[in-house]
Amino acid sequence: MRPTKLPQRAAKAGAWTTALWLATVAMRAQTHWAFTPVQRPTLPVVAGLTSHHPIDAFIAEKLAAKGLALAPKADRRTLIRRLYFVMLGMPPENAAVAAFVADRDPRAFEQLVDRVLADPRYGERWGRHWLDVVRFAETNGFETNRERPFAWQYRDWVITAFNDDLPYDQFVREQIVGDALGAETATEFLVGGAFDIVGSPDPALTAQQRADQLDDMTSTTSTTFLGLTLGCARCHSHKFDPIPQRDYYAMTALFAGVSHGERALPPTPAQRAAVLDIDARIAAIEPQLTRFRTVKSELLASHAHRTAVTYAHNEEVLQPVLARFVRFTIAQTTNAEPGIDELAIFANDRNVALATNGAKATVSSTLPGYAIHQCEHLNDGRTGNDHSWISNEDGKGVVQIEFAKPERIDRIVWARDQDGKVRDRLATDYWFDAALAPGEWQRIASSDDREPMREASVGPIYNLAAASPADAALANTLLLQLTELRKQRASTTSVVMVHAATFSQPGPTYLSNRGDPMQPREQVAPAMLSLFAPMTLAENAPEQDRRKALAAWITHKDHPLTARVLVNRLWQYQFGQGLVSTPNDFGKNGVPPSHPELLELLASEFTASGYHIKTLQRLILTSDTWQQSSAPHALALQVDMACRLLWRFPPRRLEAEAIRDSILCASGNLDRTMFGPSFFLHDVDRENVYHYHQKETFGPAESRRMIYAMKVRMEQDAVFGAFDCPDGSLAMPKRGMSTTPLQALNLFNSPFLVQQAGILSQRLQSDAGPELPDQLQNAWARIYQRAPAADELAAAQKFAQHYGMAALCRALLNANEFLFVP
Amino acid sequence: MTQMPRSLHALKSLQSLQALQSRRRFLVEGGFGLGAIALRALLHGQDPAPASIAGKAPIRPLLQPGRPYTPRAPHHIPRAKNVLVIFCSGAVSQIDTFDYKPELIRCHGEALPGGEKLITFQGGQGALTKSPWRFRPRGQSGKMISDLVPHIGALADKICFIHSMQGKTNTHGPGENYLSTGYTLDGFPSMGAWISYALGSENQDLPAYVAIPDPRGKPQNSVNNWAPGFLPAAFQGTDFNARQPIRNLARPTGITATDDAATRAYLQQLNERHAANFPGDTELLARMASHELAARMQQTIPAIADLTSEPQHILDLYGAESSGSKIGDLRAGYARNCILARRLVERGVRFVQLFNGAYQTGGEGVSNWDGHKDLLAQYSVHGPVLDQPTAGLLIDLEQRGLLAETLVVWCTEFGRMPSFQQGAQGRDHNPNGFTCWLAGAAVKQGTSHGATDEFGYRAVENVVSVHDFHATILHLLGLDHERLCYYHNGLERRLTDVEGRVVREILA
Repeated sequence: MRPTKLPQRAAKAGAWTTALWLATVAMRAQTHWAFTPVQRPTLPVVAGLTSHHPIDAFIAEKLAAKGLALAPKADRRTLIRRLYFVMLGMPPENAAVAAFVADRDPRAFEQLVDRVLADPRYGERWGRHWLDVVRFAETNGFETNRERPFAWQYRDWVITAFNDDLPYDQFVREQIVGDALGAETATEFLVGGAFDIVGSPDPALTAQQRADQLDDMTSTTSTTFLGLTLGCARCHSHKFDPIPQRDYYAMTALFAGVSHGERALPPTPAQRAAVLDIDARIAAIEPQLTRFRTVKSELLASHAHRTAVTYAHNEEVLQPVLARFVRFTIAQTTNAEPGIDELAIFANDRNVALATNGAKATVSSTLPGYAIHQCEHLNDGRTGNDHSWISNEDGKGVVQIEFAKPERIDRIVWARDQDGKVRDRLATDYWFDAALAPGEWQRIASSDDREPMREASVGPIYNLAAASPADAALANTLLLQLTELRKQRASTTSVVMVHAATFSQPGPTYLSNRGDPMQPREQVAPAMLSLFAPMTLAENAPEQDRRKALAAWITHKDHPLTARVLVNRLWQYQFGQGLVSTPNDFGKNGVPPSHPELLELLASEFTASGYHIKTLQRLILTSDTWQQSSAPHALALQVDMACRLLWRFPPRRLEAEAIRDSILCASGNLDRTMFGPSFFLHDVDRENVYHYHQKETFGPAESRRMIYAMKVRMEQDAVFGAFDCPDGSLAMPKRGMSTTPLQALNLFNSPFLVQQAGILSQRLQSDAGPELPDQLQNAWARIYQRAPAADELAAAQKFAQHYGMAALCRALLNANEFLFVP
Repeated sequence: MTQMPRSLHALKSLQSLQALQSRRRFLVEGGFGLGAIALRALLHGQDPAPASIAGKAPIRPLLQPGRPYTPRAPHHIPRAKNVLVIFCSGAVSQIDTFDYKPELIRCHGEALPGGEKLITFQGGQGALTKSPWRFRPRGQSGKMISDLVPHIGALADKICFIHSMQGKTNTHGPGENYLSTGYTLDGFPSMGAWISYALGSENQDLPAYVAIPDPRGKPQNSVNNWAPGFLPAAFQGTDFNARQPIRNLARPTGITATDDAATRAYLQQLNERHAANFPGDTELLARMASHELAARMQQTIPAIADLTSEPQHILDLYGAESSGSKIGDLRAGYARNCILARRLVERGVRFVQLFNGAYQTGGEGVSNWDGHKDLLAQYSVHGPVLDQPTAGLLIDLEQRGLLAETLVVWCTEFGRMPSFQQGAQGRDHNPNGFTCWLAGAAVKQGTSHGATDEFGYRAVENVVSVHDFHATILHLLGLDHERLCYYHNGLERRLTDVEGRVVREILA
């Protein structure tokens, strides 16, 4: 299956040439359309076509072959409603409708399109589509289903990227290797999938969990950017596409150093410089204060309390004691299994716990499967999460250090992460015992005299009671300076947490026999799919280089899939169906494009425009094809019921989020605040397993757009989940559009809808005054952006007089006219 | 760029409008007689994929827009019409219920051979430990079943035990996913969703698929157990039980029945007027039809969930009334769900999934079968809660003649170890061998299939994988597990992935 006649190139990101690409894809030309280079087509000439728009030429050509033609343009009210629903996910304001309908400028629609594309709601709408494709959610899934409290940062990054029209190649690169591009947040893409956090000492289970994580990263990358499914090659070579099993494992090797986790964004260079400066000043002050440090017994005597533990630095000042063994027992943590990056024990300022000084560390347990979290990191002299130990007991763990010989120890320094990046797994309830011989344990320090855990607490306690007045004055001055400096340090380094990938240098990758990670076969080097320009990295290639190479490969301008796949997605969300109706499968098992040349045109335009999504969308929106009427006609329905040929604009039901947003919009209740932590549609029971209970009443806090609702895996919103809303467990490149009685019940009876109908009815009265006809006019304008016809008005009046405005609003908000893209 | 109306298009539009615009005619031809309208070959969201799998062409049922539950033909003659799954969440110990091992009793207190190196879910192994419950011969067949489940034991002659089940995960979440969806990962359609997608339902006024959670709460993997995955949302399990009605089913508080009905009628007017502008658009009609079905469900479901019409002898059969003890309350709660399950089967609901055991609340094993630490105390609750109501359900189905056409499936996510855990009085997870059983619908009665080793640790004889188990259930419903497909994300997906073998040995 591998192309043998092509040169195997050594690994260097982006080092292959257009010529090589073309040579490779030429070899594939016979195999499958999507693996051949994109070729700009020539425009067909269609008799009688008045439009000069290239898209219309391709559409009209196919229609003509079936005796059909484009429909007339939709009226302006319909057009602006369609434009808002499709591009912004909610109806237009009445003023905007009125202005557009009255606009005599021949370029009125183009100008409207420009305004809509510049509207910040655009990013929220299109960001939501992207989040479907990349299986975004804000909980871990599986039975524990705990929250990822910082996952929303990626959602905000996506919204911003769409609004800023970040070129697609850069958009891709940042998600794969944003850590090298100053866009750390974007790498949540890699680890956004469901993640089984239930650990076990069972090695087979641990290996399977890791294999599943890598499969999620590899498959999502492949379907998202390349429209190729790799999943079957996990167990055997792909049956439909030329993807040998070895390729699958070569691809997983690209992600082998990527792990799930929360972390702080790294400091900027300016922050780093400021911190260095502050640290130097602190370092100059601290030695002058050493003699005022208290010891534990004095503290206890004075009932003084020590500050709470911190993630980055904890110090235990001891009554000097002779010891051969020190035992550190952890009984409780901030969360999960405890982690310690370094445990230093000093005798006269010499760290006698260091392995290099002959000390030996033992532990009660170790989290399986992580080279970076082993026992030997406890006393290797290296700091940071990548050289730390984590236990395998939830909230508990014991570390013991045996010195080379008995030592008179006076100080212990320990931390979760002295580099200040990681903020989790911190011991909060612990004690230290010392012994000369095993069994003679004697308590030397504990958390009992510490204040409860709070953020940003600092350093040791100083006791000036015994100092002379002059010394005390000096010490106080220095302490004030120290406090100020630490405040500055804290504000300089105030951390922004993200649920982004964490990276470490991986070990070798092996092909797993039949997909079973307990049956490793030959070692596989990281490589791109051999189907295209072959590129293999060294088996031990640095972690980040692997992803750099992958990003460069995917975004190479001659990659035959990247642009095709993306323009098809855009087309799909703009028309409700793609030119290729299998958006994540451009392989041989997928459906061929309905309009192959049009796809080529769009792909080549997109690449030529510098990967600007908005530019391509503008091209589509300004076609007659997109602006045509959605009215059906009998002949065309017979010939092409599914409207694959686009003889009309295909009407479709709004998606879950667009319905909820539009209801809030119509009731005048929508909070347009963008970004930030998610609001909750559920009350959360945070047991070992998290339970999510649907809220029954909603207030202003739940009135933001639904993209800002906490996306909980498994537990869907009780009203809108039934509208084919994906839960983020798997990639959802194209939503179902089913129609069910539960949807009808949810929308007709839910407390949410009844509440919004009530609010709307009150607003109609306050906005339109006491006269019923005025209120009805206002209702039609708010909900349907039109005036009611005379018969509608009469019927509505009759109904409202009998049953009230709230009942009327309940019906209007449930009607098909409100729920379908016109 | 004003477009000239093209003559053909304009003419045809006009004709079709003239033909269909009359509202009366519209109603007759299409409004609620969807059959008169040309059906869309496929529901939105699914597209044909050209390739077939290993010579077996995928079969994807034709779905009518707005009528997802219309009955659809099976692939071959079925032996069962309905399925009733009893899912015991938390992993029931086969050692203490149905898998009798004299060798384990003999070796009680000894080390499990090879056990010193064996690391299971929570860690190391203690000694082999016989069940605290005595096993006795039951029924004509003399099947050895423990005193933990005597009522079920008494029905041994009706049941086909599979002792050689084997899973591939020892974690509850993935394990429940596996039993319910055929995949350990999240996001795949449940068996019930597959079956209602394949066959629709006999009853158009009820959902095709109902999940009945334990009165104590949802199972450990929650709604994943009845999720639609990538299948159309219509096929997800609708969850309610004898205590908790369907959400949003009831008329909203503060709205009178008259006002509610008038609002519904007015909504229908709005939709008819709108649809008249889109003659032939099935999506719009489907939504209108869904309102009709919703209205009917509002009548039928509360009536089904209301057990007041059940006579005393039936309540007694199931143990549906509590003596006031804690166990009595729990048993009565589960028993009422069992009665509800029977009522749903009686009315033609295709797939009913009844849960015994809820998510971990109050500690391991307290509200489900996860007996790690104190097996004797915990199973002394769970056994009686499960036993009589489950047996009552089987007896009741049989006396109403429903058992012949209903496949009853009793299952759990995996088994437990024959040894106790190190330092504990309970058993750790064990996917290597466990017991499930089937009854009804042309399954061999009073038989046992497959076996674990002498201690009940690992399935060694006629091993049945979860995929085999699913394939067999589909087969009994007249479905070929290799052909029932749904195209998603580049693949023809199946309940049984790329595996599964029908266990013909257990078919009568």
